[in-house]
Amino acid sequence: MAWVTDWAPTADELNSCIDCGLCLPACPTFRLTGDESASPRGRIAAMRAVAGGRAPLDGRFAEIMDLCLQCRACETACPSLVPFGRMMEGARGEVAAHRPDAPTIGRRVLFGRLIGSRVLVALASAAVGLAQRAGLASVGSGPLRKAAALRPIPIPVPTAAGREWLPDGTPIGTVALLSGCVMDAWYSQTHIAVIQVLRTAGYRVVAPPNQTCCGALAAHEGAVYDAARLAERNAEAFEGYDRIVVDSAGCSAHMKGYRHWADGGAKVADRVVDANEFVAQLLTEGLLPVIEGDVPIGIQDPCHLRHAQRIVEAPRAILGAAGCVPIEIDPAGMCCGAAGAYQLTHPDVSDQLGRIKADQIAGAGVAVVASPNPGCEMQLRAHVPPDVEVVHPIEVYWDKIK
Amino acid sequence: MDATARLIELLGVDRVRTEPIDRMVYAKDSGVTAGEPAIVVLPETTAEVAAVVRIAAAFDMPIVARGAGTGLAGGAVACPGALLVVLTRMNQIVMVDEVGRTALVGPGLINLDLSHALVGRNLHFAPDPSSQQASTIGGNAATNAGGPHCLAEGSTVAHVLGVEVVSADGEILMLGGAAPDPPGYDLRGLMVGSEGTLGIVTQLLVRLTENPPQTVTMLIAFDDINDAARTGSDIIGAGLVPAALEMMDHEMIVAIENFVSAGLPVEADAVLLAEVVGHADGVAEEAGVIRSIAVRNRATDVRVASDEDERALLWKGRKSAFGAIAQAAPDYYLNDTVVPRTRFVDVLGEIYAIADRYGIRLMNVFHAGDGNLHPLVSYDASQPGMTDIVVEAAHEMVCVAVAAGGTLSGEHGIGLEKRDLMDQVFTDVDLDAQARISQAFDPARRMNPGKVLPDGARCFDRPSS
Amino acid sequence: MFRSAELVTALRSVTRELFERLRDETVDADAAYVVAPASIEEAAAVLAAAADAGIPTTFRGGGNRRQTGAPAAADLIVTTTRLASIIDWRPDDLTVIVGAGLPVDDLESEIAERSQTAVLPETAAGSTIGGVLAAGASGYRRLRYGPTRDRVLQVRMATGYGKVVTGGSPVVKSSTGYGMARLVTGSLGSLGLIGEVTLKLWSRPLAVSTVRVDDAAAAYRRTYRPLAVLETPDGASLYLGGSANQVAAQAVAIGGRASPNLAWPEPITDPVRVEMRVPAACVEEAIRWVQRIGATRWIAQHGVGIVSAGIDALDVAGVGAARAWAESVSGALVVLAGADDRIDPWGTPPPSIEIQRRIKAAFDPAGICNPSILPGRL
Repeated sequence: MAWVTDWAPTADELNSCIDCGLCLPACPTFRLTGDESASPRGRIAAMRAVAGGRAPLDGRFAEIMDLCLQCRACETACPSLVPFGRMMEGARGEVAAHRPDAPTIGRRVLFGRLIGSRVLVALASAAVGLAQRAGLASVGSGPLRKAAALRPIPIPVPTAAGREWLPDGTPIGTVALLSGCVMDAWYSQTHIAVIQVLRTAGYRVVAPPNQTCCGALAAHEGAVYDAARLAERNAEAFEGYDRIVVDSAGCSAHMKGYRHWADGGAKVADRVVDANEFVAQLLTEGLLPVIEGDVPIGIQDPCHLRHAQRIVEAPRAILGAAGCVPIEIDPAGMCCGAAGAYQLTHPDVSDQLGRIKADQIAGAGVAVVASPNPGCEMQLRAHVPPDVEVVHPIEVYWDKIK
Repeated sequence: MDATARLIELLGVDRVRTEPIDRMVYAKDSGVTAGEPAIVVLPETTAEVAAVVRIAAAFDMPIVARGAGTGLAGGAVACPGALLVVLTRMNQIVMVDEVGRTALVGPGLINLDLSHALVGRNLHFAPDPSSQQASTIGGNAATNAGGPHCLAEGSTVAHVLGVEVVSADGEILMLGGAAPDPPGYDLRGLMVGSEGTLGIVTQLLVRLTENPPQTVTMLIAFDDINDAARTGSDIIGAGLVPAALEMMDHEMIVAIENFVSAGLPVEADAVLLAEVVGHADGVAEEAGVIRSIAVRNRATDVRVASDEDERALLWKGRKSAFGAIAQAAPDYYLNDTVVPRTRFVDVLGEIYAIADRYGIRLMNVFHAGDGNLHPLVSYDASQPGMTDIVVEAAHEMVCVAVAAGGTLSGEHGIGLEKRDLMDQVFTDVDLDAQARISQAFDPARRMNPGKVLPDGARCFDRPSS
Repeated sequence: MFRSAELVTALRSVTRELFERLRDETVDADAAYVVAPASIEEAAAVLAAAADAGIPTTFRGGGNRRQTGAPAAADLIVTTTRLASIIDWRPDDLTVIVGAGLPVDDLESEIAERSQTAVLPETAAGSTIGGVLAAGASGYRRLRYGPTRDRVLQVRMATGYGKVVTGGSPVVKSSTGYGMARLVTGSLGSLGLIGEVTLKLWSRPLAVSTVRVDDAAAAYRRTYRPLAVLETPDGASLYLGGSANQVAAQAVAIGGRASPNLAWPEPITDPVRVEMRVPAACVEEAIRWVQRIGATRWIAQHGVGIVSAGIDALDVAGVGAARAWAESVSGALVVLAGADDRIDPWGTPPPSIEIQRRIKAAFDPAGICNPSILPGRL
């Protein structure tokens, strides 16, 4: 059989793995199951089997692909630099193309179509916000319990898109901000902190009006055509900006890979900078104040920061500048189980990983954990005891310097 | 009821796999051979393994045990119709005895996870094959795995004190143990390195090694690989056995540096990575001797790792070498010959000459201290005829090593891949003797048949007694 | 089973010429024939003939360990006196190939020229390398360098079915086929005759020291890799090896009286000798047990788990109790010398006895090689 989409794993990609297996221990699902089919190498073997026409693209193939968290920890472990995350998105695209009626259809519609609509996201978010207020979440289970771990959602739901913020003096430059889909609705405080920190450093911050969801969730679900459409739209919306600041690791990682998704994608990709990376750089340049202090704070690395972008030092530097001493909770940087929508689609695996992470946090004996990504924050909050606070490094920093 | 149904009854449907794609996923280890199992099972206890073996026996199925599948010789590759027993879920650390310096572990425990679990107790598990971050201790025992630090500490067999084994007829036996020199034959010593052909190891009592009070790790660069090789040889000749003595050639250095960014000297023709450990005074003296031997052999730079992070990075680079080769070409062929240290420089020269003659690309990364060579041919199998050329050249390299008084495998094992080369180093009579051993453990030839020994190894009929 | 007259007839009819040619008159022993083959091939021919005729056979090196395993009487003794040379010493490879009949002391003094050691038993006067290997014996320095079997790289042997077999590989590291060299080491001549072995060598430390200590276990815990930690009724000592500065610094750190040599204890030569082999953590308790069974002389190896002891007379009940304890901690009590009908030299046979039996049968199908020397009277 042949692949049918432009995003399918290529022969070169499939050949770039020599089966050494060094990725296995880095893979959370392999760690939990000990099962080759739940490992990066096994998934590549499955992709090769289908690509080579030796196996059908059937329900079992879809299941094998679907269990992957797409945390990309295998990429950090891979000496042959296999682009696994890219391949997995492509493989899921193929699953979607071959099995349009698969049970995952709902997710593809949600993350491919609905999430691009600011109105729909706002409405859905408002509904969650109402549920929070009604106290429903605290008695529910599954997705409802996750909702409890969300920050309180403001009603009406705010949006950053189309707005602009000026620094106090003459701007030293302009940066564009990705307002995002759920970030905008659910994590407006993070946006505010990032914007204020950038203003403090002397930047004018613009959230271009025509932008949309980055498409990461669509790509992760295999809604490849939607992911491409969203990327195209953002490529246009961010035209003309030298630097695009993205304050969700999943989004910044995805946009750095736009070359795979849109014709003008490479141009956008090269200008994307994760907010942590950028703020750390501003600290190095001396454009931001440094607060002395020795408050211990646990640090949890979002996979799409640590593994997909290899950004490790930046959030630690930001916490350091906020007068905190970052405490490592997991030297291996294992996924916390949030993994975007995964925490909703695979609650069992997600919960097991969340508990491991909570145990690590308990083991480190910290009262506060910083995690620079909304999905991880939600997952951590759902698993740590109520007396452990989960925060965002840039918010911590802004809180200290404002 | 068929075998699958019996296995599902025993293990549940989730731990028994028969779908075509699952069988394909389990068809390979890290080597170049492949074979799909008929059924894949994931037992979690010794009792389950024993029951699985008995079911296989009842249905006359061959049994192949597998850990993380990082082997390089096809030892865990299924033979036709095999029941593949995946032991990764048996990964417990059952007990650590700090006084006796032992640990009781499951075969599926990842090598490096054991040493990580021992942090703070001043102990570690010494065998450190380059795959140690992924490979299981059961797999290490199956292949008698080596690694850089087996130079001074010995291969895995020196660190496995006892093994719990499920025998070919499904019986559970303990071989060896914490006490030294148990009476009777050293079946533990046979089990280690037997590549799953004598039984399935379901638990291991391993020796733990005290952490050295001091470690000095040196990266020594050379403009000529022959100088590096001679330095390695001279260090051993001086009677010095460092904790590790590794060598990498130019191509390998570049590929590794692309991955780890450890500041390796990418302009060098070769580097030696030498490590000395021990008491502070002794370490300083040994490092001094190594430095002076290197300088005498025209080393261009001697860099000493300044801290534990730098040391870890250098080792991460070395241990990623094999994995990094796909940067150069999609396919590879890897040898694992060992030669006497006195013949090391000559043999290396001959190996490069063979590569030149065949016009193939060679990358070299190996354990210089114990003469364990890993010439690695990287190539593109899609080029017509290329595979044949590479196999022919690689076999010629093996012949050179054997002619120099060497052997086929230092640490990867024989498995499927080198099985038919065994007659290069053993006579028919020798192979028959080894076949007698396998027959004594496994009269029905059920355990990993077709591995280690070539077909027909059993060439003399045993007189009846 | 053949004895005397019948045996001679059998030999005549089969291989008289061979046996006469190899006959060794120098060994005084209670056997119909003593032969000294000059090659492994000759030894194999002898064993083939002995197997055909069903002649119980034993092997003799230095003769120090004749009582180990209390073997049945043999009608044929094959000695290694003519297989006693250094065949190839490669000092720059830290390996040596020797004939099995070479005395340990001869090898050690030869390779001491380049300051190397095979780490064989230190006080083995007259022992041959083949004998040490067959017994699976190790020196005290196994604490630092590991047991002898870890240094046996390759073995050439004449099997009980009369073939010359090479097992293992002649290099310092190998994963090529089964660990034949490990199987043969400690097999007590039950599979055939060890004729030639390749050993891994170590450099001798530049400096050594013996430090008297009060508490051996405590001193061991504080010292990085001593050569040995021994305790005898006369007290305890740490044996150090390394660079001069290192040994001096370690000796000072331990405290206690230091002498700049390795002062090994006198070997135990009592008519009844037992050896406790227990987990290292149980050594102190094993010492108490050997004292309880009346040991006047004993040597305990801390960190290893061996306590060798000499006793005047075999106290069957006492040894039985000590053995029961040793086996309860997954160890063994072995009666190395002086065992009689009242007590088995090895104790409870290992659970793998069936596989052991099959291995014995595979290598000695006629059952002629040191019959009944193994645990379980194999």
